[in-house]
Amino acid sequence: MARIFSNALLIAGILLPVLTFSQKPIRIGGGNTGGVHVSSSDQQQHDPGSTLDGIGKQPNLSAASRFLGQATLGADYQTIVAASQMGYGEWLGTQFETPRAFYLEDLTKQLTATALDSALTRGDDPNRVEPRLHYWHTAWWQYTMTSPDLLRARVALALSEIFVISEVPELGDHPLALANYYDMLLDHAFGNYRDLLEAITLHPAMGIYLTHVNNPKAAPSLNRFPDENYAREVMQLFSIGLYMLHPDGSLILDEKGQPVPTYNNENIQELAKVFTGLSFGDNYLFGQEALSEQSYLHPMWMFNSWHEPGPKVLPLGDTIPDRNPVDGMADIHDALDHLANHPNVGPFIGRLLIQRLVKSNPSPEYIARVSAAFADNGQGVRGDLKAVIRAILLDPEARDCYYVNDPWQGMLREPLVRYTQLCRAFNASNDDGLYRNRMDDFHRATFQRPLASPSVFNFFQPDYQPIGPVADNNLVGPEFQITNSVSITGYANLLHQWLVFNQEVMEFRSIAGEDKTDERRIYLDLEEEIQMAENGHLAQAIERFNLVLAHGQLSETNRQLILSTVTAMETEDPEDQLRLALFLIMVSPDYLILK
Amino acid sequence: MPKPLSRRRFIGQASCAALGSTTLLSSLASLMGTNKLMSTSLEDPGDYKALICILLAGGNDSFNMLVPRGESEYAEYAATRTDLALPRENLLPIDAPSQNKLLGIHPSMTHVHQLYQQGNLAFMTNVGTLVEPISNEQEFRSGVKKLPLGIYSHSDQIQQWQTAIPQSREAIGWGGRMADLLQETDTNTGISMNISLSGRNVFQSGQNTLEYSISNRGNGVQGVEGYRYWNGNQGFLTDLRDGAYKNMVDRMYANVFEQTVGSLTNQTLESIESFESAIQQVAPFTTSFGEHYFSQNMHMVARTIAANSLLGNRRQTFFMTFGGWDHHNEVLNNQEYMLGVVSKAIGDLYAALGEIGLEDKVTTFTISDFARTLTSNGNGSDHAWGGNAIVAGGAVNGGDVYGDYPDLYVRDNPLMVSRRGNLIPTTAADEFFAELILWFGVSPNDLSIILPNINNFYSPNSRQAPLGFIL
Repeated sequence: MARIFSNALLIAGILLPVLTFSQKPIRIGGGNTGGVHVSSSDQQQHDPGSTLDGIGKQPNLSAASRFLGQATLGADYQTIVAASQMGYGEWLGTQFETPRAFYLEDLTKQLTATALDSALTRGDDPNRVEPRLHYWHTAWWQYTMTSPDLLRARVALALSEIFVISEVPELGDHPLALANYYDMLLDHAFGNYRDLLEAITLHPAMGIYLTHVNNPKAAPSLNRFPDENYAREVMQLFSIGLYMLHPDGSLILDEKGQPVPTYNNENIQELAKVFTGLSFGDNYLFGQEALSEQSYLHPMWMFNSWHEPGPKVLPLGDTIPDRNPVDGMADIHDALDHLANHPNVGPFIGRLLIQRLVKSNPSPEYIARVSAAFADNGQGVRGDLKAVIRAILLDPEARDCYYVNDPWQGMLREPLVRYTQLCRAFNASNDDGLYRNRMDDFHRATFQRPLASPSVFNFFQPDYQPIGPVADNNLVGPEFQITNSVSITGYANLLHQWLVFNQEVMEFRSIAGEDKTDERRIYLDLEEEIQMAENGHLAQAIERFNLVLAHGQLSETNRQLILSTVTAMETEDPEDQLRLALFLIMVSPDYLILK
Repeated sequence: MPKPLSRRRFIGQASCAALGSTTLLSSLASLMGTNKLMSTSLEDPGDYKALICILLAGGNDSFNMLVPRGESEYAEYAATRTDLALPRENLLPIDAPSQNKLLGIHPSMTHVHQLYQQGNLAFMTNVGTLVEPISNEQEFRSGVKKLPLGIYSHSDQIQQWQTAIPQSREAIGWGGRMADLLQETDTNTGISMNISLSGRNVFQSGQNTLEYSISNRGNGVQGVEGYRYWNGNQGFLTDLRDGAYKNMVDRMYANVFEQTVGSLTNQTLESIESFESAIQQVAPFTTSFGEHYFSQNMHMVARTIAANSLLGNRRQTFFMTFGGWDHHNEVLNNQEYMLGVVSKAIGDLYAALGEIGLEDKVTTFTISDFARTLTSNGNGSDHAWGGNAIVAGGAVNGGDVYGDYPDLYVRDNPLMVSRRGNLIPTTAADEFFAELILWFGVSPNDLSIILPNINNFYSPNSRQAPLGFIL
């Protein structure tokens, strides 16, 4: 027992800089929410007419909640109140300036160091200690639950589902690489698209995932040609897509009415030459395997002698010059400039980001407004992601409450975001301050966890059409691709455990041999709502859930149904009623569709 | 040739007229709509059949799965594949009466080899997605022939193997169209004839049909857990909760997404009990399946097949994905392991089906995005086109290779699209599928509803089998 105690201290000691943060209430920039006292929330009328679509006005609480449903991975009541007082524009401005709390790689390393110390203390073989996949998951949750840059965290998750790498098939053995890649996405979330594209291209995890690390120049006599994998996917998925697009995202058609491909196989073979000669940044020889875990944490390095010489023709006809001497990195810069300046990027990436944050089927006008912001942030800068995010979140189609009642509006919330939303809305926490979560059960139940897509095409594809009224109206619903009999019941069962049974909401897995003691179990905090219910305000407490989770959008029918169901429970304990109400809200179509 | 399943003459006759005036897919949709009204049960209820579709996602380097072993052909193979060539002496030798080449199977596929030798497994060779036949590289470049979209793109090719419509991007698969046509969703259990071990997929999505997703754990499906130990009140509370849940999802919503998520949930809740009770009645197999998830998937398929009469479906399709074949790197090591997994899973499946006497009723086939470039990129291979596939089952005319095993030299080979070694398919995926579909019992008259391009390759009323591997 003494041994376990010392481990606990060790963890607490090492994590102290991080953990102090997790104990504080979240502050949104200058808007300290600490003094806000609200005794009742059932005054919140759902009145579209009174809701705002402008910048700088004071949104009401359900409108603020809806905004944060798009702009964060979840917000508690205080955060909603604060945002409603700030207004959308100021909230965004403050978020853009909010620094990151820490780096996922650092925490993953700290956890590894803790495990190492513990192994040494116990006399275990230190060589068996290595960064583990659940260290990275723990770091991700620590960030999601404690870092104040809520918008950055939301955008980074969206980017991770566009610029996909995955623990499957092999990066799961390199959790530091996953953490470092995600850090890179967080760093570039408010940066410039061109820089992001380069950071992705040169990241060793991407090099491994799409196999352009150690990709040699051609040797025709050996029948050896450059690997085409990254060349294809960087165009198809990360920049320009398959077909030429108008700025509003619609297809440009040729004289026969056919879509015009952005590139052909010759273009791929040409671009494949550009991505030759890259190896791990700490390698001294091209073709070497990674020397250590450090090799996965630094941008790949160009070995010019293994880079394909000669000119390379790019998709729109520009040519990378025949550089003599060979300068592979200059070739890559040229190619990325070319892709980043391609007219497709704004509408292509813009639509994908809208789909991740706001809705599955943005109108052409909405896409056009976002791609205009991509083309020029107002100061002549192209690719400014801040301007793109601002345009997406402040667009009338995202803000105007008219759209809440539009039958074509909305998107299915993806399971991972439902999960973060629940944990953040009710400040899931433990006494020990570390969010251990290996996410195995969650992954099995919902097919999701961060950076775990089954392929480069993400958990779901942007044009997936579920059969029924969505497909019949030629709309798309990407998240429905992972919605089936397994994930529907898997999700409901997780909710049942977390909410009805009040079990831990995160899956404990030991970092350094520490036991699962009570202080390490993570539970939701429903204290405030339970107080309300115990004081005879059950309906009010349920309305609070409706506000925080469903942005006040529960239909009157379902609100009454939930109320009458929990009233019929014949229980003395209002907590039981609240827990069932929460379950029913989170399985209701009203909540599941973000509108 | 087995007797056609049913009486859809109406469709067969009406289709030609309808196809003339409107777009292809809208007519298909309306035909299916009509068919729904006309549909009755299958003619011969006792006649169970199942198709198992295995998607080797990522692009199996299948010219290392089926390899020439004759002296000169092997030399040609080795010269093209360089560092990717398998040693000749390691190949598992087979006879292929239809080919003029001696062939061998990848050394890790011992179960597949055994099934082949027993006459229960065959290969398709140089099969791929085509809209119409393309005889050589000149035709390919002529601009006259319709080509599949995105020939080397994973997403396109994976989709096209499942849709059998390579000229457009469709969300409806040929397994889904088949289910729409056969209307084989049992009305008592609500369980689709299309069952997936890999979740939502294009192959099994129809206009009116969705796959039923199961997992390889437990009884394949899991209901929503009830209240436990609640002072004796648990039954009441569980019913109360389930009643409210059901009420919310079994209702019309104006919003199309709310409506969709509601009805998906409703279908799921309804079907779970029936599936669980059926699968629980299946006696365990003596065959022991491997630990790999793919083997475990296969085990669940075998159990579901064994429960077919309880599930009430006389026709079933199964779909499962085995991913990770995109071997731009380390193709030799990875493929050796993964082909071994595939081989053992298929071998175990047929051993288990043998225990219940259904091995002749179940046909298994593989699809994959594409084969890979014959030439190397230094450590792996890239995306190509035509490749080799497996078809297994007691009904298969096994012990042979169907199609034309191509010459593997690259320079001046008329079938090569580029010097990377990308082969133009000489057998269309449609021909491969047509034979499976006819075996399944679909009338030749209805074949073009399921495979809209089939007339470019095969005349459904010719009374001849498309390839002869199972008919």
